[in-house]
Amino acid sequence: MSVAVTRLLFRRFTLRHAKLAPRSTALLVGILGLGVAVFVSIRLANRAAVSSFANFTDVLTGQSDFTIQAPAGTLPESVLPELRAALGARPVDIIPLVEETAAQARLETRSTPARPVTYTLLGVDLISLANLAGERSADGGYFQQGPGAPGSRGAGKGAEEFWKVYTAGPQLWVSRAFAAVPPATLDLVLGENVRTLRVAGVIPTARGAPPAPATLMVLDLPQLQALVGKVGRLDRVEFLVESGPRATERRAELGALLEQVGHGRWTVSTPTTHRESAETMTRAFRLNLTILSLIALLVGLYLIFQALDGAVVRRRTEIAILRSLGVEERSILLAWLAESALIGLLGGAVGVLLGWIAAQFAVRAVGETVNALYFATTVHAAGLRPGEAALGLGLGVAASLAAGWWPARMAARTAPAQVLSRAAAPAPGRSRSSELGLGIGLILLGTGLCRLPPVPLPGFGRFPLAGYAAALAWIFGGGLVCGWIIPALAHAARALGRRWAPARIALSHLRRPSGRHRLAVAALHCAVGMAAGMAILVTSFEQTVRGWIDHTLQADLYIGSEAGASGTAQSFISVAAMDRLVAHPAVAASARLTLLPLNFEGVTITLAGADLAVQHRRGAFAWVRPPPDEAVWEPTRNAALALVSEAFAERFHRAVGATVRVATPAGAQTLTIAGIFADYGNERGTIMVDRAQLRKWFADDRATHVSLWLKPAADAETVRAELRREFPGLAIYTNVKLRAEVLRIFRQTFGITYALEIIGVLVAVVGLALTLTSVLLDRREELTTLRALGFDRHELASAAALEGAGIATTAVAGGLTLSLALGWLLIHVINKQSFGWTLSFGVPWGQLAAVGASVVATGILVSYVVGRWGANLPADREE
Amino acid sequence: MALPSSSIPVLTVCGVSKSYGARRVLDRVSLAVGSGESLALTGPSGSGKTTLLNCIGGVDRPDEGTITVREEPVQALDSDALARLRRTHIGTIFQFFHLLPTLTAAENIELPLQLLDVSAPERKVRVAKALDRMRLQQRADALPGELSGGEQQRVAIARALVHRPALILADEPTGNLDSANGANILGLLHELIAETGIALVLVTHSEEAAASCHRRIDLRDGRIVAGP
Repeated sequence: MSVAVTRLLFRRFTLRHAKLAPRSTALLVGILGLGVAVFVSIRLANRAAVSSFANFTDVLTGQSDFTIQAPAGTLPESVLPELRAALGARPVDIIPLVEETAAQARLETRSTPARPVTYTLLGVDLISLANLAGERSADGGYFQQGPGAPGSRGAGKGAEEFWKVYTAGPQLWVSRAFAAVPPATLDLVLGENVRTLRVAGVIPTARGAPPAPATLMVLDLPQLQALVGKVGRLDRVEFLVESGPRATERRAELGALLEQVGHGRWTVSTPTTHRESAETMTRAFRLNLTILSLIALLVGLYLIFQALDGAVVRRRTEIAILRSLGVEERSILLAWLAESALIGLLGGAVGVLLGWIAAQFAVRAVGETVNALYFATTVHAAGLRPGEAALGLGLGVAASLAAGWWPARMAARTAPAQVLSRAAAPAPGRSRSSELGLGIGLILLGTGLCRLPPVPLPGFGRFPLAGYAAALAWIFGGGLVCGWIIPALAHAARALGRRWAPARIALSHLRRPSGRHRLAVAALHCAVGMAAGMAILVTSFEQTVRGWIDHTLQADLYIGSEAGASGTAQSFISVAAMDRLVAHPAVAASARLTLLPLNFEGVTITLAGADLAVQHRRGAFAWVRPPPDEAVWEPTRNAALALVSEAFAERFHRAVGATVRVATPAGAQTLTIAGIFADYGNERGTIMVDRAQLRKWFADDRATHVSLWLKPAADAETVRAELRREFPGLAIYTNVKLRAEVLRIFRQTFGITYALEIIGVLVAVVGLALTLTSVLLDRREELTTLRALGFDRHELASAAALEGAGIATTAVAGGLTLSLALGWLLIHVINKQSFGWTLSFGVPWGQLAAVGASVVATGILVSYVVGRWGANLPADREE
Repeated sequence: MALPSSSIPVLTVCGVSKSYGARRVLDRVSLAVGSGESLALTGPSGSGKTTLLNCIGGVDRPDEGTITVREEPVQALDSDALARLRRTHIGTIFQFFHLLPTLTAAENIELPLQLLDVSAPERKVRVAKALDRMRLQQRADALPGELSGGEQQRVAIARALVHRPALILADEPTGNLDSANGANILGLLHELIAETGIALVLVTHSEEAAASCHRRIDLRDGRIVAGP
């Protein structure tokens, strides 16, 4: 029975109301859509950024079954015959690989560094790959001069063509996505050199493999080895098990065999573990972004609540009539819930579409951060999967239903007699002391939760669950307590009420705030608190990073390869080039630094080799725990000593005096931690040893970075320009420019966070407008009375503006207090537990004052406009 | 009831018509009310009583005709000027009291004085007098929700009279009260009008209330069918 009635109500009332007020329906759908869109866009951008960390070899081979690589550095080619012998006659293809980062050469002479475009160069054995071609290549020809390639005269076929291309000297293949018509040659930075390489053709597509990304380039293995100084070395070896009925069994056998033969010389991974490592590496970062994106949805949810609540107020008479005609509570409840679900479905659809569009922009911002902090990612577009679209729709419906439940309940419980009898004066709102108690209880609960440790994430990383729960408890608790501040504020301003009639009306409402008033204050308090809290975090971070770079960036010039731009990109400077750099007549001192990816306890961190004595003498360390004695600075005494970054110490729970075991080509090294230094440029963690030790272990004297201290009379810009002319492949930063670059990357990292916060505050201000609209509609009779008493439109609007000002001021006062607490929580609990960084606490008072003033001013303006609208509402007529 | 001897016109309504869509609610209505005079507007529901009252108060605008209150042409005033006219010369009493629920009884009464920028000490004196006259001294700080129907209507009358308007517009002031309370309120209203010389237009269904006024006009389908 109730379902049929609900259907009738939905058709005759809900849909008709939506048709009669298409703009407000569209606004509601839009607001929810915005909330869903923020969540969807961040989700898509996150996935796209991580999925770009794909194994590039997949493009050529479909997908390898296993990969082996050295824990740090490279593998010798001598492992290949050893592996072939160990595998015997097993049907397994072995694919040796070298992977290198190259940058597009630029003819820039300015010292302002624009980020160069980087490419992944993959060196593969084209001969062995050609053997796979018949079964794996979808487009026939394999690494030949295909159509569209420069100099091509049609698709070459056959062994003769292949050998001709293969023996033609250094050349590379580019992807179809790189350019529709590839250029004849490309100038690329490799190490410190700019090389002009011939473009031989287009990378063929392997059957079942993803299309080659624009940034992938393929060379023959020996040619790339020679180009990047890795002759006789391999970055990894991949294995493909021949498909067939026993393939699964063979794979399991191969995995075990590789582990057994390796004896710790290499790590064995599968495509799944490879992808997981990218996911675990960035999990904390992505989780933080996802949580921030949910704030907009949370505030949007509140808006839906406000709007539906307002609709219940407007349609109360209709509901009362329906109730008096015998419609059951349940049918009215269901009809309102159906309305919520419909709004949710439409909002979800709009949100998915908007989210997909926004993701195309967000993916660049997320990608830049991932690139700077974690690994090279090249993604520029985010796709939408059916599951994600369904999630967006589901989220919209769930959020709308959650927000609509209370108004639906209120609608169902409308007492017909009370509503239809117009004599009943609406009672002013009353604060319940239980709410104050609950608010204080939540604040105390949050305080307790701050002390709980983080939750370990599967694989790697930690998630500050208790920290986020504490933030939530403070936000809700603070919101409830704020409801109690409104009457106090009205009381404090009572003198104004005695002087000005609109103030008397406004203050009388604030003295006894309704549930709507309290809810508006709570939402705005939440948005202001989070935005200002984030501003405190960013200021603290920036202040700390500024202090850190002031302390550690002491050299005059910093040099690295143009190709070494991302968190994991490796590009070495040759010894000869370094010798020429330090031999410049203006150079007084130099220090070299080698950064290598290191597999430590199953995750990738950084192994650094530094000229420790020089760095120490120049005061380039910011200490969290300084070394207790001088041993670590002396190469004769520091063979078994290491310094670690704070992020490493936090993540792996290692203190000064603890030991770490580092796998190297010279065997596993057990090192004692001598000190812990601050490093805000790497959240994966760093183990730093003296370069002399690293040289011994890896038999390689090249470095990834060089710092130069110039003689007093030398001009850094001039020296930089001279060196840059000599080494166009090197990125050379002056001290001033590097500081600016560090801060630029820093601000870019927080750019997306700010955008999310601003959306939250905007949505909350719109919420304030909706609240006042509902409140004024609810007080329509009062407006009629006030007009009859002689209030003009300006006075009516002023009363609303003052009421809005009261709500906004209370929310800002509470929100700014909350922001101090949240700022502390973000800095000392959430950041520390997520990233392991110690930050000093800095409050941007000017910024907070600006946020507060702009929210109050916007609140007053919006309320005045709503009040003006209310003043023009038609008078009630009774006949 | 006898008309006051020296009645100065406070309200004149001349040929006022008003339609809502095709429906003509008022059709060339004319009347005049002098100071100290009370006029009852009667008629069945839908006859146009409240529409006429709304037009007089400037809450609604007539399609044709003129209305003057203290010689000010109501239909010629803009929204803000109408608000000033209401706050200065008109007091309104509603059937459902329409007290502001968040203001106390005293604050409700004080509000029109505040709108006229009456000084705080004078407001205090006049509110106290009004409360005293209405026998509401003990209920000064009570919110409307805490008052009985009769008390609420007495507060509403005090609020309508406290700024000494020239004209009171009362829409069924006893319609929501029991007969005893209704009679008391009417008595009080007429007493005050006699004391102050205010003109009263009373919309009512009640024969007793209509009979208590100096004159009576009966409206049917927007036209005057009986009366002057």
